[in-house]
Amino acid sequence: MDLAATILLNGLTLAALYFIVASGFSLIFGLMRVVNMAHGAMYLIAGYVGYAVFEPLYDRDVWYAWYVGLAAGVAFAAVFGALVQTLLLGWMQGQELRQALVTIGLSIIVADQLLATYGGTPRQFFAPDAIFGSTQVPGVGGYPTFRLVQIGVAVAVGLGLWLLLNRTKLGIMIRAGVDDRQMLGACGVNVPLVGVAVFALGAALAGLGGVIGATAQPLAQGADGRFLLISLVVVIVGGMGSVTGTALGAVLVGVAEQIGQAMFPTYSVILTFLIMVTVLALRPQGILGRA
Amino acid sequence: MLEVRDLHVRFGQAHILQGVSLSIGPRPMAIVGRNGMGKTTLCQAIMGLVHATEGEIALGGERLNGLPPFRIARRGIALVPQGRRTFPSLSVEEHLRLVALRGAAWTVERVYQTFPRLAERRRNGGTELSGGEQQMLAIARALLMNPKLVIMDEPSEGLAPVIVDQLIDVLRGLSNDGMGVLLVEQNLRVAMAVADEVAIMVTGRIATSLPAKRLEDPELQRRYLGVAAGGH
Repeated sequence: MDLAATILLNGLTLAALYFIVASGFSLIFGLMRVVNMAHGAMYLIAGYVGYAVFEPLYDRDVWYAWYVGLAAGVAFAAVFGALVQTLLLGWMQGQELRQALVTIGLSIIVADQLLATYGGTPRQFFAPDAIFGSTQVPGVGGYPTFRLVQIGVAVAVGLGLWLLLNRTKLGIMIRAGVDDRQMLGACGVNVPLVGVAVFALGAALAGLGGVIGATAQPLAQGADGRFLLISLVVVIVGGMGSVTGTALGAVLVGVAEQIGQAMFPTYSVILTFLIMVTVLALRPQGILGRA
Repeated sequence: MLEVRDLHVRFGQAHILQGVSLSIGPRPMAIVGRNGMGKTTLCQAIMGLVHATEGEIALGGERLNGLPPFRIARRGIALVPQGRRTFPSLSVEEHLRLVALRGAAWTVERVYQTFPRLAERRRNGGTELSGGEQQMLAIARALLMNPKLVIMDEPSEGLAPVIVDQLIDVLRGLSNDGMGVLLVEQNLRVAMAVADEVAIMVTGRIATSLPAKRLEDPELQRRYLGVAAGGH
């Protein structure tokens, strides 16, 4: 019983991280039909840049070191995303293959530059005292507090995205742009600028995931590919461009991964892809995706 | 108000607009013509939605060629497109909030007074409306941009006759308020009821332009439109 509850909680905390990263991916795809293959690179770059800001502050024992590192990572990813959209992808709107190739190229360059700058040693943030240590969870016992915080952040991201999309003018523009981009422009809306804002937001979410993920477990080369793949699987399972679908996809993939690792560690990856294959066979647009 | 001079649009080998020249003043104008003559392409070219290969479009003396659609919209041209193209994901209220400007002549309240039906359906999604309601919404969306000129592409398409009569009243009212109206229509009755001047489009050119009254002549209708009042 204890074991089952622990596996479930592990699955949910992992799902929380997956949701934070994949929601940004889904948002960018939803509005701009860009499959952003550099999404993992944005996760990675935010982790490293955030750490570079965090480390000297942490050495001086400042209590806010982690928060500043988080803010720096997220802000850097957002600016990076806005630049990628403005300088590269904005020129090839609607040319999906070209955009995929450009973002793949970009993620290779980013990963190599990070390797050259920061070396290959894994890094890990130390969470501030307030959210460090362990908390008693009924049915599980002591559980790392930070992993519970992770769930809180994911819920906040989900609620924030829902409010943004349903209650603000930017949200109205984003949804209208998903329906009919050309007509949105004819309504006097600067669609390319909305695109830059969405790209920055999506990249910021990847960055948020990068710092949170690098606090829960060490950050190293290869995390970019891993989180890009996870984002792809999560939005394919949940449905492209749907926040609720992304949450559902993240929970399915996260929990399945933890169950797999507990029951048959060697083949646990298969379970994730089995879910994806099943969804693709029965409902190709994803569980909550629109046809 | 709007000047179009020698406008050409090509899609690959197809030469859709072959030198359209038009001058739209404060009086409402209609363009009629059979299917495939380039009427919709002309609307889209003015709005910047398709690229004009030659020619010039100017609003109040300012050149519009090459501007992105949102800049053309902000200069004062609004399009009610063919097929209405309301946004399926937005409610009626959200459509209006998207384009509403503070302190302008047309506000959300005025739209609801003019189209009470939209006020009743403000929470409904863009796809849950009837054809006539969708058309009202598309017009309301254009009006809220408070344009100098509104272009309507086949607004009467698929509407019940009683709704078409309402539509004619609304369009006349706009013109009396001083808004420029360019109406593209296949329905001659609507074109003649709304516009003072009618231009006839044949294979990518304006074949002739005449006072709306003269379109009653069946010989003229047969020659340019291939239709006659008594059928054919």
